[in-house]
Amino acid sequence: MNRRSFAVSAVVLAFGFAAAPAGAQQTVTVMAYSGLFQDRYTAAVIEPFEKANPGIKVTYAPQQSSAAMIGQLRAQKAAPQADVVIMDVSVAKAGTDEGLYVKLDDKVLPVIADLYPNARFPDVAGVAVTFDNLVMIYNTEAFPTPPKALTALADPANKGKVVIPGIPDIQGLSLIAILDRKNGGPGVDGKFEKGIEAMAPIAPNVQTWEPKPEVYAPVIAGQATIGIGWNARAQVNSDTSGGKLKAVIPEEGTAFQINVINLVAGAPQPEAAKKFIAYALSPEAQKAFTESMFYAPTNAKAQIDAKAIDRTAVKFLDKVVPIDWLAVAKVRDQVAEQWRRRVIPLSR
Amino acid sequence: MTAAVLSAPIGREAAPGGPMLVALLLAPIAVLNAIGFLLPVLNLAVMSFQEVQASGAMTGGWSTAKWQAVATDSFYWELLGNSIRTSLVITLLTLVVSYPIALYLHRSTGLWRSLLLVLVISPLLLSAVVRTYGWIAILSDQGLVNAALKAFGAREPWRLMFNLTGVTIGLTEILIPYMILALLAGFGRLDARVEEAAATLGAPPFKVFWRVVVPLSLPGVALGSLLTFVLAVSSFITPKLLGGGRVFLLATEVYDQSIVNLDWPLAATLSIVVLVVFGVAIALYGRILKSVG
Repeated sequence: MNRRSFAVSAVVLAFGFAAAPAGAQQTVTVMAYSGLFQDRYTAAVIEPFEKANPGIKVTYAPQQSSAAMIGQLRAQKAAPQADVVIMDVSVAKAGTDEGLYVKLDDKVLPVIADLYPNARFPDVAGVAVTFDNLVMIYNTEAFPTPPKALTALADPANKGKVVIPGIPDIQGLSLIAILDRKNGGPGVDGKFEKGIEAMAPIAPNVQTWEPKPEVYAPVIAGQATIGIGWNARAQVNSDTSGGKLKAVIPEEGTAFQINVINLVAGAPQPEAAKKFIAYALSPEAQKAFTESMFYAPTNAKAQIDAKAIDRTAVKFLDKVVPIDWLAVAKVRDQVAEQWRRRVIPLSR
Repeated sequence: MTAAVLSAPIGREAAPGGPMLVALLLAPIAVLNAIGFLLPVLNLAVMSFQEVQASGAMTGGWSTAKWQAVATDSFYWELLGNSIRTSLVITLLTLVVSYPIALYLHRSTGLWRSLLLVLVISPLLLSAVVRTYGWIAILSDQGLVNAALKAFGAREPWRLMFNLTGVTIGLTEILIPYMILALLAGFGRLDARVEEAAATLGAPPFKVFWRVVVPLSLPGVALGSLLTFVLAVSSFITPKLLGGGRVFLLATEVYDQSIVNLDWPLAATLSIVVLVVFGVAIALYGRILKSVG
């Protein structure tokens, strides 16, 4: 009996009420991204889950970024407030190493057996809940014929109109990894040498390496015309802007960004939390969220509407450049240094 | 530790009611400072010696790696130089723009003065983020300035944003109200009668300004410059929004290392470096104040 339930029972006894029946309202706290993700995830996954489980209420704890989430978890390590956390796989690795999460596998949750093989990681506690991928985004008024390849970023005609979230952002890192592979580069062990080189003709065109609040708004407004972003948000922004922005998987390739769902060690409501995670990974929830926000599903059994699946990376898996983010983390500082010394100055 | 300091007699004579009362009266603010400032700073100092894995995980070891990196990697020295240089330029520009405004305000009276004061303070009612976005609208390639330049026949838009120019313009404007208020506070010794005396003794207006007004207003200039410099060194939102990823400063690097790279120990180390810069600035201010006071 934990302190809280003891206090509750004490109050109940003191007032002479009958003890609360088993299966009283439980609250699961889900920590995940704020903004667009929160709106869409609440509608597509959380509300249907609450409907199916009347005894469980879900509280959404929005955070700006995975790093902000890990900050919260570190601060609450002694008395966790969150039950479930959705965050980027590279940050989830740090959380795993710090013992913040419980290891999930198909013995704990049978649904995990239905996930794609690349949704499970031996040294990360959680499992993948969404796959996103890098896309080239462009303003449809500025490009009557859609650009097809990353070489468009280097076209002198687009000088001052290119927006790229640069290193240390993982969009910049992904771009370098893709270019490196395209040019037969050494990959992560060679610190993406060829990728850094390939940025030389692109850098002079770049308007900003830090588009704020995100890369999509300036492209929609026409302040910039072409850039790099994440597919899911690009697709939603394409719809909400009435098609002013469109996304394309470049010929050179794309790369995955993976969000994992984690069970917090010492979570206040572990059983209800497991129920929620199982639902989040179920074909039903995966289908609903893919059709709402165009993240590729991680459950192989999810039957997605054809129109939605065409707007994810599922049909372009041959173009996905595999990036081992855990290996990248080890050379990140050296790559960042090359970036600052050899790429940024060319854009000044 | 503090009790001994607090109970020392202050000024020329011990306060009535003795040192106990002084200590008692100072206790609340001392406690508040200990909890709200000293403890977090100590926490940062401890954090800077924690070991961190490549993934960002901190599993409990200790290491001086981050301090070694900051001391030996030329990039961090560049950061320090950039931050100090940029902040000094911003401080100087802010001073040049604010001084005449503050002087005029100091000499105006009545309703007019109140109205002007409200005008000067009103930008502070808006968050720096909103004002920065305002500058983005003004400085962008299709913005106000470039539209005007285009009307005068400029072919290429001037790059006024997403670089050091933008950061300097934005921060200068954002810090002007602080500078004006600090200058006003330091103009206490400026007396119109002294200027009249200088004029009656035959000094032309410029000489009056240079030989009388400026020296008397120096304490205000020192205070305003210190405040502006410290605010400029520590601001990161404006450089983040207007720097376009081309401007590397200590404050933006602290943000990147903690929020993007999850390297908390390095962020903590750089934060301590920023604190040292503050300390040096305040020490210099003290010396300058002694020499002009």
